[in-house]
Amino acid sequence: MVSNIAIFNSLLKGLAVTLQVLGYSVILALGLSFIFGFLSLSKWKIAKIASHLYIEIFRGTSLLVQLFWLYFSLPILGIQLPAMLVGVLGLGLNYGAYGAVVVKTSIQAVPKGQFEASVALNMSPFRRMRSVILPQAFVIMLPTFSNLTIELLKGTSLVSLVTLSDLTFQAMALRSATMETVKIFTILLILYFIVAYPITLAFRWLEKKLSVGRG
Amino acid sequence: MNEHVAGEPLVKYRNIGKRFGATEVLSDINFDIYPGEKVAMIGPSGSGKTTLARMLMTLEKPSKGTIEVGGELLWHRNVNGRLMEANASHLRKVRGQIGMVFQHFNLFPHMTILRNIMEAQVHVLGRTKQEAKEQAVKLLEKVGLADKCNAYPAQLSGGQQQRVAMARALVMKPKIMLFDEVTSALDPELVGEVLEVIREIAEEEEMAMLLITHEMAFARDIADRVVFMAEGQIIEQGPPKQIFNQPKHQRTMNFLSRFSAQSQSV
Ligand SMILES: Nc1ncnc2c1ncn2[C@@H]1O[C@H](COP(=O)(O)OP(=O)(O)O)[C@@H](O)[C@H]1O
Ligand SMILES: [Mg+2]
Repeated sequence: MVSNIAIFNSLLKGLAVTLQVLGYSVILALGLSFIFGFLSLSKWKIAKIASHLYIEIFRGTSLLVQLFWLYFSLPILGIQLPAMLVGVLGLGLNYGAYGAVVVKTSIQAVPKGQFEASVALNMSPFRRMRSVILPQAFVIMLPTFSNLTIELLKGTSLVSLVTLSDLTFQAMALRSATMETVKIFTILLILYFIVAYPITLAFRWLEKKLSVGRG
Repeated sequence: MNEHVAGEPLVKYRNIGKRFGATEVLSDINFDIYPGEKVAMIGPSGSGKTTLARMLMTLEKPSKGTIEVGGELLWHRNVNGRLMEANASHLRKVRGQIGMVFQHFNLFPHMTILRNIMEAQVHVLGRTKQEAKEQAVKLLEKVGLADKCNAYPAQLSGGQQQRVAMARALVMKPKIMLFDEVTSALDPELVGEVLEVIREIAEEEEMAMLLITHEMAFARDIADRVVFMAEGQIIEQGPPKQIFNQPKHQRTMNFLSRFSAQSQSV
């Protein structure tokens, strides 16, 4: 007989792992989104091709296969990565590809007149991006970034399949040990929601704050 | 012709042509603007006026010919007697002498009015924030909007936004300022306040102005010279009196008569 407190403690341990994977992979995905988003807009042909390849490869294959490949196939090539790193890499690379498209299309969605006004004021390319284009593109990105972050959170449950003991992994283990399926999965559901909801709220708050004066 | 036509032109278009794909929009334009001169440019829509101005603002690249500003080539560099395409830093250097006000204002919507006018002063001209703010306030007073410093563009009327856009361009102290149909996106009742500010600028400022407009009475009033364009060519140019009262070309007459018929029917 496993006590409720023991169940809860195991799940909290799993939650800590989930949050860790989430945090690191959001940072990685965000970095990759901007790097490859910018590269795809560059005048440089090589940069365009590189970003196109990255985006299409990681969007075009499933996250699960990518995780399996990183965890089970890389060792055959002599590279053994820890499960945590595999989870973060897999999620970061996968969602970074989606994010790169968001960055690219959001920058393109800023009206052309904004670019022209910044040229007429003789701003440098860096200044145009920093002062004029990015602040406006960023507001356009936020709702989609919010969705992607929630998607990424849900995606973290897949890391249990590469042996990382995240929230889902703990729940599965507890279920086989206790057979208390309803109780465990209900807590699981609530815990995921407790993580997801503040994310949504934070993005909404940011969006509101950054849209000040507009519309 | 007028008191400004002395010495070297500030802007020289030489054999300028422009095509978009297969369509030739401008053909063999030769056109000068003198320091301090106020030039009004009129002509039917689609005749290439905007394209001509945008090439000077470096927003559109000429297909052939050269443009000089203040004695320097704009789109080219002269390397051992051969014309090479200008690089970004050369464009930036020469572009500093030119300013532009757009039909749709193009204010930065995420910045306050004050910051709209300060941003380029600080980051392009290297003025201190304090200095930039003083200059901005001074120009906002000039365009009658000193009380709107902390408002955002979306909170202003079209006429007010356009006046801010003029302050934003003026504060950079260009040697020539381009106005491309700056009142044609405005509600009719807001046109007057914007024209009034342009008139003041034209009277007080030393800089040259190229004013593309459909406001014929206004053009006649403030311009030193009027240029009539049609189908990608300059058909004729001269003092406002001559162009409006004794146009030499049939095309100019047709265009102007269509205009006076329109304004009478309103
Ligand atoms: N970016 C562009 N691509 C293709 N055609 C263009 C472009 N810009 C302008 N044109 C064409 O060039 C011609 C001249 O346009 P424009 O300079 O805007 O004339 P105006 O300002 O006198 O009305 C028009 O026929 C217009 O359709
Ligand atoms: Mg036009």
